[in-house]
Amino acid sequence: MKITPRNYDWRSAIIVVVPIVALLVAARQVYLSRYHDLTTWKGGGMGMFAGADFSLNRYAKLFITDSNGQRQPLTELTREQTDLVKRALNYPVRRNFLLVAKAIASRDWIPKGERRPVVLIDSKGKKVGIADESYHSMAPFGLRPGEDNWKWDLQIEYWKLSYNPVTRRAHSLRAEIFVFKPEELQSHERN
Amino acid sequence: MSEIDRQLSWFQRAKPIALSSGQELLEFVKRTELVELVSVLSLFLVVIFGFLHWLFEVATYLCLLLFLLRPKTIRNPLFWLALALSATVVIVHDWHEADNHKYLLLYWLWILFFCHFLAKPEQQRRVLLFNARFFLCFIFLAAAAQKLSSPTYRSGEMFEYYLYVDSRFTAFGKLIGIDPSVPDAAQKRIALFRSSFLKLADNELEVPGTDRARVAGLVLTWWDASLQLLIGLLLLFRRRATDQFAHILLLLFIFSTYLPAPISGFGWILAIMGLTLAKENFPRIAAVYMVSFVAIILYQLPWRDWVLAT
Repeated sequence: MKITPRNYDWRSAIIVVVPIVALLVAARQVYLSRYHDLTTWKGGGMGMFAGADFSLNRYAKLFITDSNGQRQPLTELTREQTDLVKRALNYPVRRNFLLVAKAIASRDWIPKGERRPVVLIDSKGKKVGIADESYHSMAPFGLRPGEDNWKWDLQIEYWKLSYNPVTRRAHSLRAEIFVFKPEELQSHERN
Repeated sequence: MSEIDRQLSWFQRAKPIALSSGQELLEFVKRTELVELVSVLSLFLVVIFGFLHWLFEVATYLCLLLFLLRPKTIRNPLFWLALALSATVVIVHDWHEADNHKYLLLYWLWILFFCHFLAKPEQQRRVLLFNARFFLCFIFLAAAAQKLSSPTYRSGEMFEYYLYVDSRFTAFGKLIGIDPSVPDAAQKRIALFRSSFLKLADNELEVPGTDRARVAGLVLTWWDASLQLLIGLLLLFRRRATDQFAHILLLLFIFSTYLPAPISGFGWILAIMGLTLAKENFPRIAAVYMVSFVAIILYQLPWRDWVLAT
C-alpha cells in the first residue's frame, strides 16, 4: 500500500505509529543486549533462538559472607527467591539482583547438616580430590523478625555457560560478582 | 478385501469430503471480509495465547463476553483499546521478562485499535495490509540479523546445546534419532557447574554429545536462518511472484517450526499476518493459513509425552 502525497493525511501517519515504536523498542533491546547482557530472547528485539544466551546458559551462585569473610552457599531457595533469580538472570543488572538479595534478607538462614568439603572434579565429572575449603549448606528458616537487623554481606555470582561443539566441552565463566552490604538490605524490613 | 483395497476405498471416500471441505473453506475465505476475519482470529489469539496476567485476562474475558453477546462490538475501537492498554501495562511492568512474541502481540493489538479507529473500510484495510507486511519483514529480518551476527548461533552451538539441555526438545530429538539418554546424561553433567560444593578443573566439562546432534544442530541452524532471511527479503519486493513464494515459505515455517518449538502464540500471530496479506491476492494460500491455525492448536496435544513413552 503506497502512501503518496495525494492521499497523505494524518490518518496515514496512524499507519506507521506502531512500526516506529517497534523499531525503537528493538533498537533499545539490541543496545541492552550488547552492553548490559539482556538476553536476546526478551525485550522486543525479535532475537529468540538467536544465540546460546538464555536461562539454560546462565546461572547464579549465592553466598552469605560473615564478618570474618567466611562464605556459605545458599543452596535451597524459596520459590519466590528462585523466581527472582531467574528473572534477574534474563537482565543481570545490579538492581535486579538487589531484589533477590532483599528477598533473601527477609528470611532467617540456618546451616543444614554437617560442614561439607568442596570436591575437586575432572572434565568428565569424576571426583579427583578434596579442596581445602568446606561449606555449610544454608537453607531458609521462616521469615526474619523485623526487629532483627540483617548482619551479613550477600554475594551473588553471575555465571555464563558456553558450549564448544568442536571439542564438545562446556565452559563456565563467572561474568560478575554482585556484593550487597547489610545497609542496602535493611530497607526491605522497613517496607 | 485386501488391506490395499481397504485403504484405497477409505481414500476414495475421504477424497471428495476433503475436496468439498477445502472448497467450502476457500469460499469462506473469499466471502469473509478481511477486517472482520482478522479481528475474530486476533480475538481468539488473545483468548488462547494472551498474557498470563490478571489485568489482561480480565480485559480479555470481558471482551470475549461482549463479543459473544453482541458480535458487532468487535468493530468498536474501544474494544481493542481495552486489550491494547491492558497489554501495554503488562509489558511496561515486566518489560525484560516478556518474550519477543508478546511484544508482537502488543503491537498487533494497537494496530487493530488504529484499524477500527479509522472509519472508512479502505483505510482500515490499508492499516492491516501495511502493518502485516511491515511486521513480517521486521520479525524475520531482525531475527535473521541477530542470528547471523551471533557467533554462538553461526557455529551451531545454540541448537546442538539446546537439543541436549532443553527438555522441550527431547521428544523432537528422539524423532530425529537422538536417544533421550544422551540429553539426560548431558543435563546431569552440566548440572555439576551449578553446585557450590564442586570445583572444576578450568571450569570445563566434557558433554557426552553425539555426531547426530551436531549434524541436527547445524541443519536446524541454517534451515532456520535461511528460511527467515528469505521470507523477510521476499516480502520487501512487494511483487506477486515474490509474495507468493514468501507465503509458501512462511507456511512451511509455521507448519515445521511450531511442532518442536512450544511457542504457539507466535505461530498463530504469524499466520494471522500471513493470512492478512494473502487473503485478497492468494485465496488458496489464505485457506492454507486457516488450516495452519488448526494445526497450531493440534500441536498442543501432548505428543512429546507420547513420543517419549514409546
